[in-house]
Amino acid sequence: MPANSISAIEARRTGTRFVLLCIGGIIAILLIATAFLLFTLPDANAFNARVEQVFIENSDLTGQAELRLLEILAQSGTAFADTLAGYRMVITVLLVFATAMLVAAVAALVMLVLLNRRMAQIEHSGIQVNSLILSREEKTVYLNNMAFKLTEAAIETLSVLAEARMDDEMLNGAEIEGMISGRSSADCDEASGATRIKRLRDALGNQLMTELLVKNIARKGYVLAIDKSVIKIV
Amino acid sequence: MKHVIAPLTLILLMAGTANAACYADYKAKRDAPLRLHYGVAEIEGDCTVANAESELADRVASDEWELLAVVSVFDEDGLEERRGNAGEFYLRY
Repeated sequence: MPANSISAIEARRTGTRFVLLCIGGIIAILLIATAFLLFTLPDANAFNARVEQVFIENSDLTGQAELRLLEILAQSGTAFADTLAGYRMVITVLLVFATAMLVAAVAALVMLVLLNRRMAQIEHSGIQVNSLILSREEKTVYLNNMAFKLTEAAIETLSVLAEARMDDEMLNGAEIEGMISGRSSADCDEASGATRIKRLRDALGNQLMTELLVKNIARKGYVLAIDKSVIKIV
Repeated sequence: MKHVIAPLTLILLMAGTANAACYADYKAKRDAPLRLHYGVAEIEGDCTVANAESELADRVASDEWELLAVVSVFDEDGLEERRGNAGEFYLRY
């Protein structure tokens, strides 16, 4: 289904851009917050400067005991500034964690959206053949790991179609008949190939299989309507 | 000789005080950790706050103190009331 896979790739591209944008935004916010935190919180000197100002402005603050008291005030301010530095560290670490969580959340969200889109596409396209394994010995074909027993002739028809699909070729009825019977396709009848296709479809479930697997393209021939990478012949 | 020098210095000192001795009280600080002191010092030049500031800044800087402000200038009458507050910085610089 080429149309589906292209739109899925497009969705993934826009999704990647969106994720990168979101992550960039989150990191920018963290950097701004960190800069704000580091440059606006008062440093140890702010307390000393304030005490100094009080000392200068009050002319009667000259007693020995008063001066010692002012010094102690300045020291406790400095000690508090150390605590602030510790807080700053803790807050920065928490911010980093928060960013990591946000980035993970955004990535998960976008993945969820993309997955939903993909699911919608899969639902829209109905049953999708993810694997087709042909086993000649068991006379069985496995579609999405569901086993279908087929007759010898039907297996032959399916393997001819599978080989043609792997080579990106299309076969008409005469060519199919020719390949299976081993005669030149010029000597073969279009109708006998069509009969083989009809029997294969009958064995697999007719109309559903016509749409999903063995498609007829007018005036060109028959082709397996699946991605060639999922075909395996054992 | 000694008993000649002692009275001489006494006379010189008295001459100094008679010559209207000038004193100033000031505030100074030291950083990291913040230390503050209030002191009294004698001023040699003009008896003004501006002159006291310029003189004292150099003198206290010799001990790594930073002069913050000169509070006032006064003569020897104001010395006694400031002795207690100035403590070890009374006439030290």
